[in-house]
Amino acid sequence: MALILAIALGAGACSRTDRQLQQQREKLDSLSASTAAIADAWLAGSTSGTFTTTALEQTFVLLETQRQALAVPNTLVDQRAARLSQAAEAHARLLAAMMHDVRAADARAVREHLSKLRTIGPGSR
Amino acid sequence: MTAILDLVLGIVTSIGGFVEVGSISTAAQAGSEFGFQLIWAIAIATGMVAMLIEMSGRLAAVSRRSVAAAVRERFGVHFHFVPLTAELIIDLLLLAAEIGGAAIAVKLLTGIGFQVWILPIAIAVWLVLWLSGFSVIEYGLGLLGLVTLSFVVSAWQLQPDTADVAASLIPSLPGHDHARYAFLAVSILGATVSPYLLNFYSSGSIEEKLTETELWVNRTTAYVGMCFGGVVSMGVLVTSAMVLQPRGILVDSYDQAALMFVPVFDRWAVPLFAAALGIGCFGAAVELTLNAGYTFAQVFGWSWGANRPRRDAARFSVAFTFVLLGAVAIAVIGFDPLRLTMLSVALTVIVMPAVVLPFLVLMNDEKYVKRHTSGVIGNVCLALLTVLAGLLALVVVPLELLGG
Repeated sequence: MALILAIALGAGACSRTDRQLQQQREKLDSLSASTAAIADAWLAGSTSGTFTTTALEQTFVLLETQRQALAVPNTLVDQRAARLSQAAEAHARLLAAMMHDVRAADARAVREHLSKLRTIGPGSR
Repeated sequence: MTAILDLVLGIVTSIGGFVEVGSISTAAQAGSEFGFQLIWAIAIATGMVAMLIEMSGRLAAVSRRSVAAAVRERFGVHFHFVPLTAELIIDLLLLAAEIGGAAIAVKLLTGIGFQVWILPIAIAVWLVLWLSGFSVIEYGLGLLGLVTLSFVVSAWQLQPDTADVAASLIPSLPGHDHARYAFLAVSILGATVSPYLLNFYSSGSIEEKLTETELWVNRTTAYVGMCFGGVVSMGVLVTSAMVLQPRGILVDSYDQAALMFVPVFDRWAVPLFAAALGIGCFGAAVELTLNAGYTFAQVFGWSWGANRPRRDAARFSVAFTFVLLGAVAIAVIGFDPLRLTMLSVALTVIVMPAVVLPFLVLMNDEKYVKRHTSGVIGNVCLALLTVLAGLLALVVVPLELLGG
């Protein structure tokens, strides 16, 4: 009986961790897709530099929230969580660079960072 | 001729005033996460709000009483205390969210942080209330709100599969995240059927001196106006489903939501989205503030009215001023406006039975509505939907707050 209970609790904990990781991955993929969409719109001349900068800043804030949620010892021992955390950190660096590029109106640099972002974006985690 | 003009203006302003921070947020999130699948929730919510609005106008026209005044008279002040307090708390949260939504709209255009705009927007709301009569508030803001039709234009231009959209009018279970799906359905209901609308609409009918002979104007305005308003809300959901969902963008901020206009409006996308969000939220903030003044004045028996000189309704003016200050205090604390909106619209559904059920009793009391009592089918449907939604909200709101 104790064994069944332990297995059930263990399975519950596992499925909860899996679900949380899945949610984190979806959120990070969404933020990655948002960054790409914001940058694409700016490169196409559809949005202003002002909007693009504030939208990227907001994405950065949301990304930081997700990174903080991952930065828990019990979570980071899981290899999948560690990979997600690394990808989120790389994404944050690219976001910071893109904000700088947009402020400098440097379209070439934005394209370059955007292509790097796509290599760590959805599906590559 | 005047009645026809009133009717047209009423319908047009109902469309313009339908969409605000709650309906934009919930529909945008629903579209980005579940495609067209939650359109049925908007359809049901629109039907409910149209019925309730028609009833509150009928009550005002026949009894010359607002909903708050009639409930207090019929059930006594002790009974009224609980639903009144719950409604005022929800209104305060919603008002803070609306002011936050308008501030975000200005931020989208200027790039300056939204917190900076909260106080100027609140002052603008107060000035509109202080300087304008009811007609200017209702028609002026409602006509400006027609900018929200850009969501319908956008959805139309994106050419969604009409068969898919029509099929989504029938409720169906999602393939993933059942709790989230239920939470969004409840939130859509709460965003559309705000309890404040009942008292606001009945008080407005008294301000506009609606009479028993004009009940057909009230009925047509409520059903046609609200149905078109529901179409605008569906426009938000369809646009979000067609633009954001395929890219895998979940709406966690208004900056992300603004991207839904880019494929159709290109350079005008962000200004149009900001205008729709800003005007919708500003209009709703004015209505919520005014309704707080109405409610306090009607419950405590003070003189009230947006058309009265302010010195003749001093306590009414003080009441709406204090409620506005309370909302500003909540908004400047730094809550994320989108999270605040989602929380307040979901809580609205929990409170709804306490507000709607006494109102339904009133609508069947011949002392108030004479021979214009409501039909059995409408009563039963509204009561069942309200109670079921309240129970569902009691389950899914804690689930959502605890992270699913």
